[in-house]
Parts: sequence; C-alpha cells; structure tokens
Amino acid sequence: MSALPRFDGCSYRYPGADRPALAGITFEVGRGEVVAVGGEVGAGSSTLLLVAGGYAPRLLGGALEGTRACAAMRPAIVFATPWTQLTGLYQTVRGEVAFGPASFGWPRERVLAHAREALAQVGAAHLAGRDPATLSGGELQRVIVAGALAMEPDLLLLDDPAAELDPAGADTLYALLARLAATGVTVLVATPDLDRVARVASRAVRLDAGRIVGDGPPTEVLA
Amino acid sequence: MIGYLPGRSAVHRAHPYTPLALAVGIFLLAFAFRTPGAVWLVVVAALAFAAMGGVLGAVLRPAALLAIPTWVLLSVLHGLLGGPPHVALGPLLFSVPGGERALVFGGRVTAILLAFLTVLATVSPGRLVEAMTARGVPFGRVYLLVSTLTVVPRLRVRVRQIVDAQQCRGLRLGGSPLARLRALGPLVVPLVLSALAEVDEQALALDVRGGSMAGGRTALDPPEDRAPDRAVRWVMLLAVVAAYAARFLGRGP
Repeated sequence: MSALPRFDGCSYRYPGADRPALAGITFEVGRGEVVAVGGEVGAGSSTLLLVAGGYAPRLLGGALEGTRACAAMRPAIVFATPWTQLTGLYQTVRGEVAFGPASFGWPRERVLAHAREALAQVGAAHLAGRDPATLSGGELQRVIVAGALAMEPDLLLLDDPAAELDPAGADTLYALLARLAATGVTVLVATPDLDRVARVASRAVRLDAGRIVGDGPPTEVLA
Repeated sequence: MIGYLPGRSAVHRAHPYTPLALAVGIFLLAFAFRTPGAVWLVVVAALAFAAMGGVLGAVLRPAALLAIPTWVLLSVLHGLLGGPPHVALGPLLFSVPGGERALVFGGRVTAILLAFLTVLATVSPGRLVEAMTARGVPFGRVYLLVSTLTVVPRLRVRVRQIVDAQQCRGLRLGGSPLARLRALGPLVVPLVLSALAEVDEQALALDVRGGSMAGGRTALDPPEDRAPDRAVRWVMLLAVVAAYAARFLGRGP
C-alpha cells in the first residue's frame, strides 16, 4: 500500500516561531484510510494537515526537518474558516466550486460535471446559482467542501469541516467521508467532534504540543 | 465608493474588454488634449459612457466626492499663483491662464474618475475572469486585475462589520472633530490587520485550489466577443492614435 502521506522523524517550525509546531512525527497513512487527528487547541492538528498536503513549508515558509513523503497526486484541503476560502471572483456558487478543477485545464464539460457532482455530494446542488456572498455559514462550509471534492482529490485534508454545520449537515458530511474512503480517497480530518469522527475513522492520531501521543483505534485514542 | 452593479445595459452585456478599452481610451484622450474645451468634451464622453451603462446616478456621487476637492485645490493653486493676465475676483486677482490649466487638469481627473468608476460598476468580475482566462492570461495577472476591481466592495463590507463590532463594544462615532478623530484608531487598526490576514489566507486558499498551477485554465462561460465589441475597441484605438498624432504634429486641440 503506497503511503499518503508518510512522516519519518518530521519536525516543522513556522517562520519566526521559537518552538516547532510539529516535533518528531513518525507515522504513515494508507490509501483509503480515514484518520482522525485530535488534540487540544494548539497541539498541531492543523499544522499536521498543512505539512501532510505539502502546503507547509512550500506556501507558508518555515523549516521542515526529517522526511515527509506523499504519493498523492492531487491533495485538497479545507480550512476551518470557510469565508476566507472564497476566491471572491465569481458571482455564482457553480463558478466558485469549478475554480479548482478549472485549474487543471480539464475540458469544460468535465469541470462542470465535477462541480455539479461535488455540490450534490454535500447536499448543496440547489445552491449552484446563488451568489457565494449571500450564503449562510453552513451553506458556505458545504460549498467549500464541494470545491475541494470537485478537484477529485486522492488525499482529502479537512480542518474542523463541520464547525459551521448543523447536526444533520455534520452527519451527512461524515457519512460522505466514509463513502469517499471506500473509493480509495485518503482522508485526514482534524476535529473536536470526536463522537462523529469516531463513527467513520478507521484510526486516530492524538497530538500534544506537536508530538504524537496516541495512534490507534479512535475509541481508544480519542477517549 | 462603488462596486459591480448588475444590470442589462449595453455596457453590461458587452465583452468585458470593451468597457475597459473605453475607460483606458478616455484616460489617454484626456491627456492627449490640452485645451479646456477639448478636455471637457472628454468629460462629456465619460458621462455618456456612464449613462450608457445605466450607472450615471451611481457614479456621479463618488466621482464628485473625489473630483470637487481636486477642482478647488487646482483652482486655488493655478488661479492664485498663475501668471498674467489676471481678472479681479473681489479682493483677489485670478490668473486666466492658471484658470485654464486648472480646468484642463480638473477635467482630466473628472473624466478618468467617471470612466473607471463606470468600469467598476458595469464589469462583472466573474465575466472578466472568464474573458481573460479564455485569452490565456496567466491566473496571477487575472487575479491582480480582478481583485483590484473588487477590493472596494469587500473593504466596505469589512468596514461595516468593524464599525458594528466596535459600536457594540462601546465605541462612539459622533461628537467633536477630536472625538471623531480618536474613534478612527479602533476602526483603522482592525481594518488593516484583518485585510492583511485575509490576503495571506486567501493567497493560501487560491493556491491550494490550483490558482498558481502552470498551464491553461479552463474557461467555463467565456463572454462572446462580437463584431460590434471589436469595432468599438478599434474606433477607440484609432481615436487615441489620431489624437496623439495631432498633438505631436502641433495641430491637436
């Protein structure tokens, strides 16, 4: 099984930080796994996602030590603040969701089909014609998740993806993660919603001050 | 200030390059002409452009807010400090050539403001993205231009949110000029800091969705570039070339 991703003694320090956000991380994730990442605020969960996707230090700067390898061809990430993830360039949700796949230069029909399908997957097909600036927090969160799904990722990184969702919306999202994993998509999800994530995650990693302090079945690690 | 105002006018329906070309043309013509009459003819053209876009009412107020202080400043500077001949305006001597210069400079500023405010109000950022993408313009340049067009409405929303939040925390915006000045700090500091933070976050968000990928993006709904659009742009180009040719030959107005 190819690792998506694999960390070996990995430490990461943000630019100007006096201590590393991740320290001595060693673990790997296989294709089609759903891994929950938990820990107190500031433990390093969000940073782990950024390093896993290759966004840190490439986009954020800082220093990475150790080995981080990833066989993922198309990672996608959803941050905890959906309102900062709008491009601000489109007047329709459809355009916003299609932004990612359009970057790949796919044929127009394929891009639009992916955008349609992704919106349907998160139960937001009815929002396609709406102006993103008029969406509620929950609607916007679903649209941003759809934007990531439309890129047909093989590694999906989600940082507190249900923060803005109502309980039914959160249930729908976590059920979707299980279905995606069944198709071979690897999912890393950082969330404080331990009950829901424990239902779909095959494994959990617990962080404390940037170090892994637990790795195993969710019911044991996140308890 | 002003942002995109949806509409069905000829300018709204035109290919986005057409209103942009008209605005750039008005800018260049305003500098090609040197007499007050010719420059204010360009102002009339800019007003007609705004009227064709159905946004004359919307652009007049911000244009006046920005242009009137400029007119006053230019009139004082050139009128009072300009050379002879002078005319008496009460106790003051007003320079005739200085007044003409103020009219020329003020007209240029007014025409440029009207033209670019009309572009802001009539060019849909989404359509402009599609038009530029279809022409193969790299996304970095597309974003630079389009985010410039959308920055004002976004800042306006942010200012409203910050004003509301700070008023909830007891900030008073009224009172003496000194009190109003003091109230600016709690508004400007969070505005600047949040704008800087958003730039960082949005750059990251665009990048993770392929914004910086090399290679061609797919245009989803590229606006049609019809013959009348191209004709208007050619006419404007020829007008600009003719105006500058006349100017350099010493025959221009």
